[in-house]
Parts: sequence; C-alpha cells; structure tokens
Amino acid sequence: MSLLPWLILFLPLAGAVGITLFTQRDRDLSAKISIAAVWLSFFFSGLLCLFTSGTFKDAGLSAEWLTVGDLVVDFGFIIDPLSSLMLFIVTGVGGLIHIYSYGYMHEDRAVSRFFASLSLFTFAMLGVVLANNLLMMFIFWELVGVSSYLLIGFWYEKESAADAAKKAFITNRLGDFGFILGIILVWATLGGLNFSVLKETLAKNPGAMGGLATAAGLLLFCGAMGKSAQFPLHVWLPDAMEGPTPVSALIHAATMVAAGVYMLCRVFFLLDVPGSHAQLGYMVMAVGLAAPGAAMFHLATHAFFKALLFLGAGSVIHALHHEQDIWKMGGLKSKLPTTYRTFLIGTLALCGVPPLSGFYSKDGILAAASPSGSHPNPFLFILVVGVAALTAFYMARLFLVAFLGKAKDHCVDHAHESPGVMIWPLRILGTLSVIAGFMGLEQMLGRFFGDEHAHSLGYIAQLFAPFGHAPLAAFFGLFATVLGFSVAYALYANASTDPLPAKLGFLARAMRDRFYFDEIYTGLIRLTHEAISYVASWIDRWLVAGLVVRGTHGTTELFGRALRLVQTGNLQTYAFLLVLGVALLLFIILK
Amino acid sequence: MLLTTLIFLPLLTALLLVLIPANFRFVLRALSLLATFVTMVLAVVLFAKFQPGVADYQFTAQASWLPALGISYHVGVDGLNVALVLMAAIVGFAATCVSWEIKTGEKLFYILLLLIIGGIIGAFASLDLFFFYFFNELALVPVFIMIGVWGRGPDKNYATFQITLYLSLGAFLALFGLIALYVQSGANSLDLVVLKQHLAQKPLEAGSQKLIFPMLLFGFGVLVGLVPFHTWAPLGYGSAPTATAMMHAGVLKKAGLYAIIRVALPFMPQGVAEWMPILAWLCLGNILYCGWLAMRQKDLNLLIGYSSLAHMGFVFLGIASVSLIGITGAVVIMVAHGLLAALSFALSGWLYNQTGTLEMAKLGGLMRKMPFVGMALVICFMAGCGLPGFGNFVGEALVMFGAWKSLPWFVVAAAWGGLVIGGIYMLRAIRSVVHGPQPDAWSGVSDAGNIWRKLPFAVLIAALIIFGCFPKLLTERIKPNVAEIVEAAAAKAPAKVAVTK
Repeated sequence: MSLLPWLILFLPLAGAVGITLFTQRDRDLSAKISIAAVWLSFFFSGLLCLFTSGTFKDAGLSAEWLTVGDLVVDFGFIIDPLSSLMLFIVTGVGGLIHIYSYGYMHEDRAVSRFFASLSLFTFAMLGVVLANNLLMMFIFWELVGVSSYLLIGFWYEKESAADAAKKAFITNRLGDFGFILGIILVWATLGGLNFSVLKETLAKNPGAMGGLATAAGLLLFCGAMGKSAQFPLHVWLPDAMEGPTPVSALIHAATMVAAGVYMLCRVFFLLDVPGSHAQLGYMVMAVGLAAPGAAMFHLATHAFFKALLFLGAGSVIHALHHEQDIWKMGGLKSKLPTTYRTFLIGTLALCGVPPLSGFYSKDGILAAASPSGSHPNPFLFILVVGVAALTAFYMARLFLVAFLGKAKDHCVDHAHESPGVMIWPLRILGTLSVIAGFMGLEQMLGRFFGDEHAHSLGYIAQLFAPFGHAPLAAFFGLFATVLGFSVAYALYANASTDPLPAKLGFLARAMRDRFYFDEIYTGLIRLTHEAISYVASWIDRWLVAGLVVRGTHGTTELFGRALRLVQTGNLQTYAFLLVLGVALLLFIILK
Repeated sequence: MLLTTLIFLPLLTALLLVLIPANFRFVLRALSLLATFVTMVLAVVLFAKFQPGVADYQFTAQASWLPALGISYHVGVDGLNVALVLMAAIVGFAATCVSWEIKTGEKLFYILLLLIIGGIIGAFASLDLFFFYFFNELALVPVFIMIGVWGRGPDKNYATFQITLYLSLGAFLALFGLIALYVQSGANSLDLVVLKQHLAQKPLEAGSQKLIFPMLLFGFGVLVGLVPFHTWAPLGYGSAPTATAMMHAGVLKKAGLYAIIRVALPFMPQGVAEWMPILAWLCLGNILYCGWLAMRQKDLNLLIGYSSLAHMGFVFLGIASVSLIGITGAVVIMVAHGLLAALSFALSGWLYNQTGTLEMAKLGGLMRKMPFVGMALVICFMAGCGLPGFGNFVGEALVMFGAWKSLPWFVVAAAWGGLVIGGIYMLRAIRSVVHGPQPDAWSGVSDAGNIWRKLPFAVLIAALIIFGCFPKLLTERIKPNVAEIVEAAAAKAPAKVAVTK
C-alpha cells in the first residue's frame, strides 16, 4: 500500500529519464512511454483512493532525506482528500493533455524531447502535491518551474519563445525568493518543516508564530504569486503562450497555476491567523476569505473547463494550420462540429451558467463573500460579480467571432475536424465540465477543511443548492453572466472587425499593451539591477582591478625602474656610492 | 596505504611520463587517463569504505620526515576531507579527458596536470600542515606555467602575472600565519592531531589568536577569491586552458576554504569572535557584488568566473555563521561547486574549441547543432542557479537555514543573490548561447559525438545529481566533524569570559 505513492510519483520521472537516455530517436515510442507513465500514475492514484478512502498514514510513506542539527528534512508523502483530489487532476487532466499532444505534436521534429519534458513536468507537479513538508514542496516547486521553462521554450529557435521561457523562469524565481525565506522563517520559529508537525505545534500553542505570522504568510504567499501568476507577478503568463498549445493548457489549467492555490490551501493552517487574511484577501480571494474548500473546488472545476478551452483552441489552430487570429476565423461551427460543441460547453462552464460546474464553484466563492456568507465583504463581492460579467463578455466575444457568423478568411475553407486522439480528450473534459459541479466534491473538501455543515446532498438537491443557501450570490452570479453575454452579442453578433478599440480609445491601447507592465518592469530592472551592476563593474574595472591592482603593479614597477638606474655596471659609480654610504654611516654614528 | 596510493599514483605517473618520448602522444594520453581513472575509482572506494561518525581519522599513514621540527608525512581522512578527496579525483579524471584539445607540448602538459591532481589530493589528505602547504604549492605552481604556455586570449600574460602574484602573496600570508601558529602554540609540531591535543590543554593567547586568525583567513581567502581580493580569478580562468581552469576553479580553490575550516576555526575561537562579523560583510561582496558583475559580462568564461566567486560567497556565509548546519552546508557547496565549476569550464572549453570565441553576442542557437553539449550546458547553468536535484542546492539551502539564526538579513541578501541575480545571469547566458536562431557561422560546429567525448560531462553531471538527490551521502560524513569544529570555534577562552562578567 505504501508503495503506491512512490510509484505514482516516480513513474513519470522514469518515463522522462528513459526517453531522454534511450528513445530519443523513436518519436512514437517516446510519446507512448510518456502517456503510459502518466496513465499508470492515474490508475495507481485510483487504487490508492479506493483502498484508503482519501486519508492514509503509514511509516513507509516517508524516508529521511537529510538531517543536520535541528534541520530534519523528510522525503515523504501526505495522503489526504486534498492531495488525492489533486492527484486525479494532475494525472487525469494531465493525462488527457498527453494524449491530445500525441495528435497535436505529431509532425514536430522533437516529439521525444516534448514528451520527456511533459513527463518531467508531471513528476514535478505530483511531487508538489504529495510533499509532506515545506522544503520538499519547494524542491518540486522549483522543478515545476524548470520543466515549464523547458516546455514554454520548446521551440527555442524562435526568439519570442526563448525570451518567454526566460521571463517565466525569472518571474517565478522572484516568487520563490519569498517562498524559501518564508520556509526558513517558519522552520526557525516553529522548529519543523513537516505539515503534521507544524499543525501539532500550532494546535498546542496557537500563538507560536507570534508577530512573525503575517510576515511568514506574506512570504509563502509570494511563492504562490509567482506560480499562479498573480498580480504583480502575472507578466510571464501571457508570454507563456509561446509554447505549444497543449503546454498552455497544462500550465494554465491543469496544474501549474493551480499549484499556487494548492500550496496556499496546504499551508492554510499557518496563515489562519487573524489579521493576515486582510492582506491576502484581496489577492487570492477564496483563501483570503478563509474558504480554502471553495478555492480547491473552483480549482478542480477550473482545471476541467480551462483545459477544455485551451485544447479546443488548439484543435482550431491545428485545423487552420497554425492560424491564431480570431478575426480570420468565423463559421467554424459547421467545419469543426465536435470542437464547436465542446468549446461551447467550456465557455458556458467558465461563464458560470447553471447547471455546468463553473456556476457551482464560483458560487462557493461568491457565497463566502456575500452579506450572508462566512466572511462578508461587499467590495470583494462586487468585484467578483464584475469580473464574472467581464469573463462572460470576452468568452462570448471569442465564441461569436471564431465559431459563428461567416468565414472571414479563406483559410477556414480547408479546415477539417481534428483526429480522434485530439477529439476524445475534448469530449471527456466536456463531460467532466458538465457534471463536476454536483458530484459532491464541494462537500468532500468542505469536510476536509473542518466545516461540519458540509454533508452530501442528493444529486437533484445538489443542483439547486446554491439558490437555497446563498440566493443573493447565486442570482448576482447569474445576472453578471447574462449581462456579459448580452453586451457581447450586441457588439459582435455580426461584426467582421473588432468595434471595441475605436470605442475605448486610450484604454484599448493600454489594454493591448497590457497596461505597460512589461515596460514598467523592464524599466525597473534597468534602474536597479542593471544600474547597480554597471556601477559594480565600473568599480571593479577602474578602482579594484585598475587603481589598486594595476596601481600596485605600477608603483612596484616604477620603484624597480628607479632602482635599476643605480645598477649602471660602472665600477667608478659603485665605488663612489660605496664611499658615499660609508661617509653617511660614519656621519650618523659619530654625530 | 589507500590514501598514499591515491596521492602518489598521479605523481609517479608524472615521473613516468618524463621518461616517455614526447612524440608518443597516444601513450602519454592513455597513461594519464589510466592513472586518473584508477585514482578516481580508488577515491570512490575510499569514500564508500569510510565510516561516518568514527571519532578518529581513518585510512591514516605516517612516516617520520624531519623529527627535529616535528614534521612528518601524515595523511588521513575524516568527514571533512573525504568528500573533497573524492571530488578532486573525479574532477582530475574529467580534466584529463577534456585535454584532447591540447595539441602542442602534450608531454609537459600532462606531467603538470598530473602534478596538480596528485598535489591537491595530497593537500586535502595531509594531516601535517607543513605537507598541506607543500602539496598545495605543488598543485599551484603548474597552474601558472599552464596559463602562461597554453593559455588563450589577448590578456594571457597579464592574467598569468596577476594570478601568480596574487596567489603567491596569499600563500605567503597564510604561511606566515602557519609559522606563527607553530611558534606561538609551543607544540613543536604542525601535525593536526598533536596541535589539537596541545591546544586543548593550553589554548593560544587571545592576542596571538586575534593576529594569526586574519593571516590565515585572508591568506587563504585570497586563494579563494574573497572580495576584494578577487580580480585575478575571472581573468585567470578566462585565459587558462580548459583542464587548468577546471582544476583550479573546481578543486584548488577549495584547499583555502578547507584550511580555514580545519585550522583557523577550531584553534582560534577568539579570532573567530573578532573576525566573523567582518567576513559576513565580505561574503556579501562575493554573493551580491560578484553576482552583479556576472550580469554585466559579455564573455562566457568571465561570467562563469564571476558566478564561481558568487558561489564562494555562500561558503563564506556558512563559515561566518559558525553553526553546524551552516558549515556542513559550506562543505557540501565546496564539493558540489568543485564538480559544477569543472563542468562549466569543460563546457565553455568545448564551445571555444568549436567556435573560437566565447563572446555571448556572437554565439547563439547552438542547441540545434550540439544537442548533448547544449543540454549539458542548460543542466549546468540550472545547477548553478541553485536548482534542486543538484548538490549545490543542498549546500546553499543548508547555509541559508544555518545562518538564519545569527545573520538573518545576510540570508535575505544571499537568497536574493542566489535565486534572483543568479537566475538572471544564468538564464541570460543559456538564452544567448544555446537558444535563439542559429547564426550561419556555426553551421559547421560539432557536438560531443562519441562516448569518450561525452564521458567527462556525464561523470560530472552524474556526481552532481547523486549528491543532490542523496545528500545524506555527504552530510552524514561531514556533520560529526563539523560539530566538533563548531564546538571548538564557539568556545570562548575562560579568561575572556571572566573579564566580560
């Protein structure tokens, strides 16, 4: 039994290593190894869940990795509902993306390298999910960073892809800087790294963190910001689309962005200190609202429909031979029927249309912030409603322009539906996006985070539950969706170019340039690190190496040259100097 | 006997090479490879047979040499130097492998290389400080000759000149310190075992401790490239032939650090108390200042040189923390960085041989033509910016954990330097050297094709990964001895305590 987590974690690594060392030449075999590894992990995750019903503790789950003095680091696993759910998301959604990639990347020269990176990514994500202590989580955290670097920069010969990969890694590093300091701080104040030990310490002495609680919370949060691409460390994510589309799906939906939220839920008990919520609240809302169950629920459903949308987009791009401009599409409904249907489901789920999953999970968060919820916060409530309307608007716009209406460019004429390996993952994800809302995930997570009121309802009751327990939230959520849809329909139903930029003027330009964050950051780096390193280099060249070292060298050499003048080789000069010296000595002695 | 074989196998092979005609180039190379390979295997055996936690030195051998001065040939290993011996032997083998690039004067080159390898293993294994110094110089002097004769680039002569002066001066200062220790201790010996027993009974006077300590710290510090005595390092490595840069940056530098930990810390606790705060500030010079300098470099070798100095800063931070975790971390970095620096210079040497330049603006897109070397470079630079899974991460993490209690703000700065600044310049280097479109000029370059060409890179990467994934291999051996040293270093002399009360 305790062997299972080891297998789940290390199978993808074995796949990555095996492909890199042995099957580089055989592209087909490499892909199959990678796909087999991730689905075996999925299968074993299923077994684990079946046998343990979610929670499992065993000595065989942990091994000592490193012990020096007070620092004890295990290499061990935590098996609870939270990590079990994530195991399914990572291997399940990730596995579908693997299969999809088999079709999508079929013609690429370096398929083996792609699948090796995918397997490495899966390994790293599983490590983050299973880690039973903070340092191990950090280790896999960094590995997620590096494997996403490899995936984003997969087409490294493209300048833009190589730059995007570099940017993603460095931005993530900024977050990791906070994360490691947070880990050290927690270790120094609580004396341990294992989640179970930390929980016990805090249970015995809730004030153990003292005044450092907020600092530690913010530092750990830094790490989540980098991975989840939260403001102000969001800048890498749009560029990350330079990678192949399945990678975008993997990074956005299934896993990497989710890693940040998962980490916050995992360390939630550390942050659960009055006061630190306020700061966090505006950043990761659900966690800040002390509703980690809602956060994980939304993370799960989000994984389904976001992956669905990305893979659907990939299917369109594949069909149109890498045309990505939606203003050249249109009329894809008849050309790509399956992609059209599944994309529609994904769009509706993302926009929160009942009874699709997005409605329920979003409602969980809205309910927490609503006036009758656990943490009433009118400002955040209005914000979320606004964002929901905006989401509905832009998704409807995308859908209307790309799939409906008339074809805007001849590239659409030759489009044909993608092959089965790409279509079936869409169908499965579509099904999941429909049913995930009322499968009982929310209650399972609620129980895990200690909410006694969470109990399973029947499926039918579940369907209407949001209207029962927080009607205000449910109705506002629906209202936002309808509003977004109507505006989008009015603007884009028959448009052949985008009417919005002209209407918004400067705002549209600012949006196109992403509110100039890239420019601001480039400027900041220039002002700080580039400037400092310029000054340091100047000091090193002219003061240390120049003035001091060359100066010493020069002085010594000058001295030598001066002394050389004395060595004339002329006997009379020597005799003269000798007598002069004797006379001087005599003068000094006899004075 | 095993240890003596390890030291003298390369040295005797060097002697043997003297007797072989210079135009038997294959024999010269084959013999050197064989000798260093056997040395590496023996070092692995030594490392495996070493028993962690045993109080005494293991694998000892002693022979009287100059009894009147109390000098004897005395070798042995404990947790502190056993991994360093292994690292030296691995790097030695890899350095011999990459020396196929040497096309002129191979005979002298291999003789000097074997002298360096035997010498540095001898320095690490010596328990008599006289022999430590002797072996260290035996390894250092060939470095100057090699840079002068086989070096490259326009600054070759100035580099030779600067490195010779700096290292000789540093070594002199350290020698004064050792002689002062010999005289002041009154033990009539420089044997570590004798000195330890003697100083436990009769510690050095506080005054002499405070004077001798900086001599050793800065004397050996110069050998390591402690800011502000660092300018020789990048320049020297930029001009050195590949094998020399690998040996010096990887292995020889560590002898200075080893001596500081082995001699200066436990024997002079007063000096520790006096000088460690200053060392803490200087190590920031290495981590941050050299990191920023690395960001500015346009030449790959100079970048590696400065980043290597930045890594040394972490070792100094570990030492300055005078804590079990911190110094254990420092020793782990010494081992890991030895492998890493050797790997970096081996790779840059390969690139230089293929392209004739290391200017990063001219390179680019090399991954396409050199998948193996390109991948090794990505792995190497990722390890260099502290990616978990490689030995460096373990060391750097231990140093940061260990230094947190006494030097929290320094740890914050070090984390910034290691994670962010290190990330920036390493990623920039990968981006500009192996990524991006491939310029036409490099369509004719070739990858490390056959297994022999791949071997040195593979050995170094494998060692880095093994120590990174199973750090207990190192820490279990290192920590008992570091615990002893920390205890000795933190012990204030009784007289001083009485005064402060």
